[in-house]
Amino acid sequence: MIELQHVVKKFAGRTAVDDLSFAVPRGTIFGLLGHNGAGKSTAIGMMLGQVWPTSGVVKVCGFDVQSHRRAALQPVGAIFETPVFYDYLSGWRNLEILSTYTAPTSRTRIAEVIDWVGLTGREQSKVSTYSHGMRSRLALAQALLPKPELLILDEPSDGLDPEGIHEMRQTILRLHRDLGLTILLSSHLLHEVEQLCTRIAVLQQGRKVFEGNVADVKGARGKVALKTDDFVRAAELLRARGLITATAEDRFVTLAEGRTTAEIAQALVATGLPVAGLWQQEQTVEDFYLNLIKPPSSAAGK
Amino acid sequence: MFFAQLKNELWKLFGKKRTYIGFAAFLFAQTAMLLAFKYTRWQSDFERLLSGNGYLATEFISVLTVSVVMLIPQIMLLMPLYATLVGGDLVAKEAEDGTLRMILCRPISRLRLLLVKWSAGIIFAVVLVVALGVTAMGFASLLFPWKGMFVFSPGQAFSVLSAHEGLVRFLFSHLFLAMNASVMVSVAFMFSCFNMKPAAATILALSFLFVSMVMENIPFFDRYDNFFITHHFKCWLLIFIDPAPWTQICQSEIILVAVSATAFIIGSMAFQVRDIKS
Repeated sequence: MIELQHVVKKFAGRTAVDDLSFAVPRGTIFGLLGHNGAGKSTAIGMMLGQVWPTSGVVKVCGFDVQSHRRAALQPVGAIFETPVFYDYLSGWRNLEILSTYTAPTSRTRIAEVIDWVGLTGREQSKVSTYSHGMRSRLALAQALLPKPELLILDEPSDGLDPEGIHEMRQTILRLHRDLGLTILLSSHLLHEVEQLCTRIAVLQQGRKVFEGNVADVKGARGKVALKTDDFVRAAELLRARGLITATAEDRFVTLAEGRTTAEIAQALVATGLPVAGLWQQEQTVEDFYLNLIKPPSSAAGK
Repeated sequence: MFFAQLKNELWKLFGKKRTYIGFAAFLFAQTAMLLAFKYTRWQSDFERLLSGNGYLATEFISVLTVSVVMLIPQIMLLMPLYATLVGGDLVAKEAEDGTLRMILCRPISRLRLLLVKWSAGIIFAVVLVVALGVTAMGFASLLFPWKGMFVFSPGQAFSVLSAHEGLVRFLFSHLFLAMNASVMVSVAFMFSCFNMKPAAATILALSFLFVSMVMENIPFFDRYDNFFITHHFKCWLLIFIDPAPWTQICQSEIILVAVSATAFIIGSMAFQVRDIKS
């Protein structure tokens, strides 16, 4: 649904996006991760034809956004981090206004979408009277109006309370499950990304540093928790035998390539060290992300 | 779809309170000027001017005369301010608020969007001028009788007309006033298309008009009058001269249309290549 090929974007000599390439397959929930200023919003801006790439190709729904913007954006809905509307107009009027920029939209369709996002009864109130959560729902409504196939969500949970974040997460899952939408999600909430996304790409200083499936990230070799009476001695022994490569917090060890927890247990028991517990820690997206973007100096120190 | 988009653009424009600042200011200014004309030496000075030129003053201190008297300073001072205020808002305010980003994630071309916004700006200019004319006549009719018309603007017009002829020309002059307001909106709109705050777009447009007016009034530039758009703004007064200098009026109007179109084209080109970011 989305394809970026060697995209570069420079602003006044500063490179915001550098040789970025990735693809969002139809039917996935794709997470775009990165610190502030990593280039996520610029990349999204290029997908939506709001920011012109310096070089490279951006395709949405098979169409080049630069040369065929209209065709590319016809089946696309988008939400940005801070939902902004014409506050002095009603929610309904806002939807009417925004829908005319895509295609003629019937009143029935507007009412249907308002009902879907749970704003029925408040649609005639001025947006200035809406809470942040209601604005987010209105933002979702405007994105759904043109019956999109692709939804681009740039920090949709930004500024929401925990209840709102949960509701937004459930809504995204519902959109994916019930309407079969392909979703590109840019978020700082790594836990949210882990729960929602099937595939992620991580940007750092405008460059892609990782792209892969969330399942692979979580299943990747992580830390092993070791509970024993003398952790320091156990670690020395395991290191000497080449079974582990590192330790952390006096309770975790990192297995050497090709080694298993069974070998660890066997080695410790053979030397008479009691093993009270030994289990593989599942790696979270947060662990993975933090390790990935760890500054080189801090990485070298560990 | 264009008309649906234009209708919605007008909803946005006329739904904002600040759009009405100009209308409110005109009402206030007209009331103040009307009372000043009636109750200060202004009216007697005017009567002396008429008498001094051999006219019976009582026959020409009328609704139409007072309406034009009230219009002249407002057209020069207030109209540029409020026309550029709205013109400067058209694109820059939406960019500043973030709503432009939401519009531009939809499959509407930037040129089409600008055309819709510009058209809304032109409609605002026409409505502003019509409101100005209607309220001027309405207010004047409260205190003055319906009689002949006298128009005086130093260096521009000195004209005495019958009530009927005066009314026809008064109505006709609004066509040219609407063109003036449209050009002011267009210039502000052009600046608004660049990456700047709405206030900056308004100030730049006002500065452009002000510089044009100042230079036009410097004696050295007399021979270059045609290069200053404020010179062409004055053609609305020429309509009251008998016979009206149609060649000069048409020439000015063509130049104003060209300025307006040029402003739109420059604005569109700048907007087309611009990155829209949050």
